[in-house]
Amino acid sequence: MAPTALFLCECGPNIGERLRIGDLAAAAAGWEGVKLVARHPLLCSAEGRQYVEEELRKSGCDRAVFGACSPKEHEKTFRGCMAAACANPFMMQMVNLREQCAWTTDDVAEATHKGIDLLRAGARRVLAQEPLEQKKIDAESTVLVVGAGVAGMEAALTLAQKGRQVYVVEKQPCVGGFANRLAEVCPGMECGSCMLEPKLDRLLHSDNIKVLTYTEIDEVLGYYGNFKVKLRTRPRHVDPGNCFGCDECVKACPVTNVRNEYTDGMNTRRAIYFAYPGALPNLPVIDHESCLRFKGQECTACAAACPFQAIDYKQEEVVTEISVGAVVLATGFRPFDVSRVPGLGHGRIPEVYSSIEFEHMLNTSGPTGGEIRRKDGTAPKSIAFVHCAGSLSAEYNDYCSGTCCTNTMKLLHLAHKKLPDAALTDVHGELVYPGKGQVDLAREVAKEGVQFLRTADPNRVTVTASGKGCKLVVPAVNGSGKATTIEADMVVLAAGMEPGTDTVRLASMLGVTTDRFGFYKEGHNRLGAVETNIIGVQIAGCGRGPADIQGSVVQGGAAAGRILSALVPGEKLELEAAVASADEDVCGGCKMCIAVCPYKAITTDPAKGVAVVNAALCQGCGTCAATCPSGAMQARHFTNMALFAEIGGLIR
Amino acid sequence: MSGFKPKIVGFLCNWCSYAGADSAGNRKMTYPAEFEVVRIMCSGRADPQLVLKAFSEGADGVAVFGCHPGDCHYKEGNYKAFTRYHLLRKLLPDLGIPAERLRLEWISASEAGRFVEAVKEFHARLVAMGPLHANKKDREAGNG
Repeated sequence: MAPTALFLCECGPNIGERLRIGDLAAAAAGWEGVKLVARHPLLCSAEGRQYVEEELRKSGCDRAVFGACSPKEHEKTFRGCMAAACANPFMMQMVNLREQCAWTTDDVAEATHKGIDLLRAGARRVLAQEPLEQKKIDAESTVLVVGAGVAGMEAALTLAQKGRQVYVVEKQPCVGGFANRLAEVCPGMECGSCMLEPKLDRLLHSDNIKVLTYTEIDEVLGYYGNFKVKLRTRPRHVDPGNCFGCDECVKACPVTNVRNEYTDGMNTRRAIYFAYPGALPNLPVIDHESCLRFKGQECTACAAACPFQAIDYKQEEVVTEISVGAVVLATGFRPFDVSRVPGLGHGRIPEVYSSIEFEHMLNTSGPTGGEIRRKDGTAPKSIAFVHCAGSLSAEYNDYCSGTCCTNTMKLLHLAHKKLPDAALTDVHGELVYPGKGQVDLAREVAKEGVQFLRTADPNRVTVTASGKGCKLVVPAVNGSGKATTIEADMVVLAAGMEPGTDTVRLASMLGVTTDRFGFYKEGHNRLGAVETNIIGVQIAGCGRGPADIQGSVVQGGAAAGRILSALVPGEKLELEAAVASADEDVCGGCKMCIAVCPYKAITTDPAKGVAVVNAALCQGCGTCAATCPSGAMQARHFTNMALFAEIGGLIR
Repeated sequence: MSGFKPKIVGFLCNWCSYAGADSAGNRKMTYPAEFEVVRIMCSGRADPQLVLKAFSEGADGVAVFGCHPGDCHYKEGNYKAFTRYHLLRKLLPDLGIPAERLRLEWISASEAGRFVEAVKEFHARLVAMGPLHANKKDREAGNG
């Protein structure tokens, strides 16, 4: 058995005066394996560390026990000393004589007695420890960004500086996400697409970024540093090399009655269409479900109208396989479907609109040309805005999206600008204007004569049809008070954010956990805000929870930064050494370890039928080892042998 | 019997409870010296075998302390600890060990006070219960 050096640190008076170190040294001298017992006034000092290294070399010990402070304080320090003395850094054990012994009792005899127990446990444990190797693997430095909204764009642009290759995959035919469709953005009333244009231009014209629109993720295999991703690009039937976006094809299309999903059905589009005015890339797309040609009819109207022969009916779906080292999920949100709250009347009463629909009306290139109009074409004389449709409600979404109050202020402000004589009412339960500058807009709106009316829960407001408009019954703030009745020509319901439709599918494909609301779950809800449980998969934007544009941009940049600093081209990835490993001679292939692993780090070797741990994914928690019924799975550095030895040593 | 010093082995997760115990030390909060700690990375590593090993080696009580539900550094290891704790509580009486000799607590890194309180309470309970291993006369006499 290789010999052990046992170092005792006095830590000045902290250990030296609170327990009898001489007694510890005397006890340890006779223990199995202990060749050297050395005492020092302050082992972590430069002089102390040098002392450790010299003593290790001189004595020829390749194991060590450090009776000193908490391993949380100096385990790394003394592992460094081990490595410097050419010993394996994992062949040591810290014994916490300070925080968990000397400082926890005022009785020197008691502390000394406990110190001997702890030290004995450490000396026995170190005999059962094994040297571990810090492994390195080759890693791909190319990154996949899923979603081309503000968060994904920021991540891609940050990554692509200095030559890093990035794939951006967007399932829509255009980039820019939700923000690009906003006519005006809170709180400064900038035009969304004007604000984003420079970034969109860089995104679409960077040599280092490959943007794949109309594309979805089909399959993800592999792990951090080595993901293999299968992408499926739907045929647009328009050749991007020839198309100049002139619109002739759209004008020629005989199918005129397709519901326009980009205005939530407030107008119609053709079978070949641009997603919305100004959508980038400036290319139309043929919608298979509506196009006569794909219904078996002989229509070639668009191809005939195209001056550049850019229409290609034969284009087929393309499957691409790419290798990437890391993934950023920036898949965004979908607005809450306000018709799910039956009492609010959306979908049932014609003049009830969601905030998104109202936003479409404000857009000068939208379905009403920027005019606020009722379905009969008249301007409303009164509008009631109701906050929190589906938000802060146990029945629907029991969280606050943090953006809808300010957005409602924007809608009120713009409504007042367009219809200065309209009576505007704001019905709310809570009013949330987080951060800098948002409340300013609310103050301005209050000056514009908006009536504010508070209720306990806006989801309890009942909206009924009244003549050509609506009647709202707004319960009082306190349950027993008298309800207020308002008549309004138009009602606008503030929709919060829900996880985008693909969140669950992508999460399960990657093994990423989702939270109770269905958003991607952060690695740590405060400190690991852009990480997930899967190493190498970062999250940004509204897929990880409601965020405003600024927040999404910050997260996109943060996610990219994490990848840039960890995954450097040409450098190998250093893996955690103290991970789990399965003994294939003992493993029965029951897969219980696979079920408990929170990181999807364990798979079954198809040929041998035994568990295999991926050291790039394993974080060393040891839950698999605790679950394994055969003892095949061991948590390295925390093996049963080592822990049994430590337990035995504590009790003697 | 008043001099009985129960031997207690505590399995503490590295991230929350072990840091909580360190924090108690930092604040010089005293607690019975018979509580001795084995550091594990996650309370999910607290294999029932480890608990049984501690009892078989002579522990009068075994504690498993982990992160609060929802706070596990490894996502959900503490839930695994929780289910194993209930399994052990059913199993221990069949081995002649009262289930009350096993204790599970959620203690965060900042909860030094809660840590000390849990140790003191558990210690007092074990003192009242007396030694598990009747043959260990030396500890019963309080001079172990």
